[in-house]
Amino acid sequence: MGNFRKAINHANISRFRLYLQAASFVLLIYGGYLAINIGDQLPTFGCIFSDLRGGSCYLYGFQHQMGSPWSSYLSGRGIGMLVGLLTFIGFFIVFNKAWCGFICPLGTIQDWLTGLRRKFGIRYSNYSEPVFQRLSKIKYILLALLILIPMAIGNSFFGLPKLDHDFGIPFCMICPGRTVFPLFSGDFSQLALDMSSITKMVFTTLGLLITGLFLAGSFIKKRFFCLFCPMSAFHYIFAKAALLRLSKDGSKCTRCGNCYRACDVGIRAIADDLDHKNIVKDDCMMCFKCVEMCPEEGCLEVKFLGLPIYESTEEGFFKRMQRLNNAK
Amino acid sequence: MQSDVDKRFTRMQKATGLHLAMEAEETLQRLKEFPDNPEPMAYFYDLFHNLYKNGHTLPTDKKIIGTMCLQVPDELIYAAGAVPMRMCSGAYAYDQVGAEFMPAKSCPVVKATTGMLHVNQTLWGESVASVVVPTTCDQKKKCAEMLKDMGYPVYILEMPSAKDSDAARFYWQESVKKFALDLQQITGTKITSAKLQAVITDMAESSRLFRKLNDLRKAKTPLIFGKDIFLVTSAYFIDDLTSWQQAVRKLIEDLEERHKNDIAISNRQAPRLLLTGSPPIFPNLKVPILVEQAGGIIVADEVCSSNRLLYDTVAYDETNLNDMVPALADRYLKPCTCPCLTPNTDRNRKLEEMIKSHEVEGVVYQAFSGCLPYEMEQKQISNTLDEVGVPMLYLETDYSNEDLGQLSTRIEAFIESIKARRRKK
Repeated sequence: MGNFRKAINHANISRFRLYLQAASFVLLIYGGYLAINIGDQLPTFGCIFSDLRGGSCYLYGFQHQMGSPWSSYLSGRGIGMLVGLLTFIGFFIVFNKAWCGFICPLGTIQDWLTGLRRKFGIRYSNYSEPVFQRLSKIKYILLALLILIPMAIGNSFFGLPKLDHDFGIPFCMICPGRTVFPLFSGDFSQLALDMSSITKMVFTTLGLLITGLFLAGSFIKKRFFCLFCPMSAFHYIFAKAALLRLSKDGSKCTRCGNCYRACDVGIRAIADDLDHKNIVKDDCMMCFKCVEMCPEEGCLEVKFLGLPIYESTEEGFFKRMQRLNNAK
Repeated sequence: MQSDVDKRFTRMQKATGLHLAMEAEETLQRLKEFPDNPEPMAYFYDLFHNLYKNGHTLPTDKKIIGTMCLQVPDELIYAAGAVPMRMCSGAYAYDQVGAEFMPAKSCPVVKATTGMLHVNQTLWGESVASVVVPTTCDQKKKCAEMLKDMGYPVYILEMPSAKDSDAARFYWQESVKKFALDLQQITGTKITSAKLQAVITDMAESSRLFRKLNDLRKAKTPLIFGKDIFLVTSAYFIDDLTSWQQAVRKLIEDLEERHKNDIAISNRQAPRLLLTGSPPIFPNLKVPILVEQAGGIIVADEVCSSNRLLYDTVAYDETNLNDMVPALADRYLKPCTCPCLTPNTDRNRKLEEMIKSHEVEGVVYQAFSGCLPYEMEQKQISNTLDEVGVPMLYLETDYSNEDLGQLSTRIEAFIESIKARRRKK
C-alpha cells in the first residue's frame, strides 16, 4: 500500500489529465456514434447543438425551464426543474470542479490551443492581479443574466412587457460551445448569422464574435474563457459541499509560489492563503498542477470523502521536474 | 620602482594572506577535533585548506561573476557561460581590512567582503567580470558604492523591500529580466532557453541534495553536526557545482549508512537546537562549534548561508525564457525570509515548522553586531518562540575571538537549562 501511494504521488497527473481530457472529449462530442448519452444535466459543456453528443450541458435545459411562468414553478413542471437541478448537483458534487479540468471539452480545446502556442514557442500573456479580480466577476453577471433574461419571457418584471421567445437561451447563443462543437462532426450550420429577427441576428453576431475571441484569447492566455464561464460560477455555489477536495496545510507552506506559477487560471490564493483548508476558489478547475509543483510534503492534498488520494511530496516534485527536462 | 603606498599595500596583502591561512587552518582544526567525523567530510576540509593555504586563490580559471546575497539568480550566470561566486566572507582577517572603509559599528559580513575585495583586487582584478549586489540591506547598498569606487565592475540588482504585492513581484521580475540581458553583454554569451533549462535542472539537484541532508537531520539519532553542514553550504559559495554535488552525494550515502546502523554522531540525548540569524560562513563557524562542543547539536538552521540559500526550488511551466526567467525571479523573492524584507512573518512560520519537523528544543539566535535587521527582528522571533514554548539564546557576536569565553559560558548555561527543562517534563 505504501509503495502504491508513493507511485501515485510521484505520478505525472498532467499526463493522466491529458488522456482523460481526450477520452472525455470523444465521449461528449462523438458519444452518439456509440449510442452513449449520459444525460442533459451535465455540469460541463457537452452541447445540445452537437448532434452526436454523448451528453449535454445543464445550462441549456436550465435556461429553458427558467422561461416558464411563475405559476408553473409550483406545478408539475416545478418537479421537473427540481429533478434537473438535483441531477446536476448530483453529478457535480462527486467530482467538484474537476469537471472543468478533466472533462469539459471547451476547456480541453483551450488546453490544446495552449499546447499549439507552446509548440511555436510564442509567449503567453497574463492578467495582473487587480485586472484578474475585476474580470473574475463577469461570470456571476453572466449567470444572473442567463437566469433573469429567460424569466422575463414567461413573466413580466415590474409591469414591463414580456420578452420575445428569441431570448430563450441567451447564454447558449453567445457560448463558443454552440459554434465550435458541431464543427467536430462536420456541422457548420451554427456559424451562420440568423437574420430571421433582430434579436437572433444580434445574438448570432455576438456568438461569432465571442467564438473568435475564444479562439484567439485562449491561444495567448491559458484557459482564457474559463474566467468568464457562468457554469464555473454556478459550480461554486455548490463547491463547498463537494466530495472531491483540494486542501492546503498553511503551516507547511513556504509561500514559494510554485503553485501560483503553475496555475493556468492564475489563482493567487493558492500560494498566499495560509488560513483556509479548503482552497478551491471559484476559478479553480482542479487540474492539480499546483499539487504537482509543490515541493512541501503534504502541503497540498487532493481528498475524496476525506481520504487522501494525491498529495504533494518533495521526491515527487523533483522527479517531475526531471521528467519535464528530459521531455524538453 | 614601487611607491610607498604600493609597498604598504603589498605588505598588507601578504600579512592578511598569512592571517587568513592561520585563521582557516585553526577553524579546520577545531572542526576536525570532533570525534568520528564522517569520512566524506574530508573533501570539504581539503577544499578550504587548499583555497587559503597560499593566499586566497580563486576556485576556478573561468570568468567569475561575484554575487553578494543569495537573491542573485546563479542559474542566469551559469547559463551566460560564467561562474557565480558568492563573495560574502566570514574571515576576521578581511574584516579588519574592511574596517578601514566603514564605521566600526558596521556589520562584519559587509566589512569582511569589502576587505576581501580590496586585498585581492590586484590578484583577482581581471577574473572578476562583475560583482552583483542586490539592493537588500542598507550596508550592502553602500558597500556596492565603495566597491564601485575601488574600480570593480559593480552591478546593482534592484530588489524591492517587500514581496507581498504584485507591484513588488513585477518590479523584481523586470529587474531580473534586465539582469539576464545585461549579463549577456558582460560575458558575451547568449542565454538560450535550452541552456537555462539545463542549468535549472542542474541546480535543482543541489536543492534536492540539500533537502536530503535536511531530512537526515530530522532523525532521532543525531547523524551529523551542524558545524559540518555549515562547512558544506559554505563550500557551495565557491565550489564547482558538479564536484560539490558529488561530494554531498557521498556524504548522504555515509549518513544513510549510519542511519541504517543507528550510529549516532554525538550523545543521543544531546539537546536539539536550531540556529538562526546572521549567517555562519567559513571560517567564522565560531558559534556552531561552541554550541556543539558544549554538548548541543544543531539539527536545523534558518540562515542565508545554508537553508535559505539551498532549500527553495524553481518551478517553471513552459520551457521558454519568457516563463523561466520570471520563474527564477519568483524563486529568489517569494520564499525569501531575509530580514531586509517587510513584513517578514514567513520567517516566523518557517521556524515554527522546522521546530516541529526537526523536534527542536531550543533556538540559538546569532546576530552580528552591526547587523541591525537581524538585531531588530530578534523581538519578533522571540515572541513567536514564547508562544510555541521553545527557549531562545540571543548571541550578539562578531568575527573576532575576543568573546569566546563569554559566549561559551552562556551557551553552556543554555544547554544545561534545556536539559533541566527535560527533567521537569
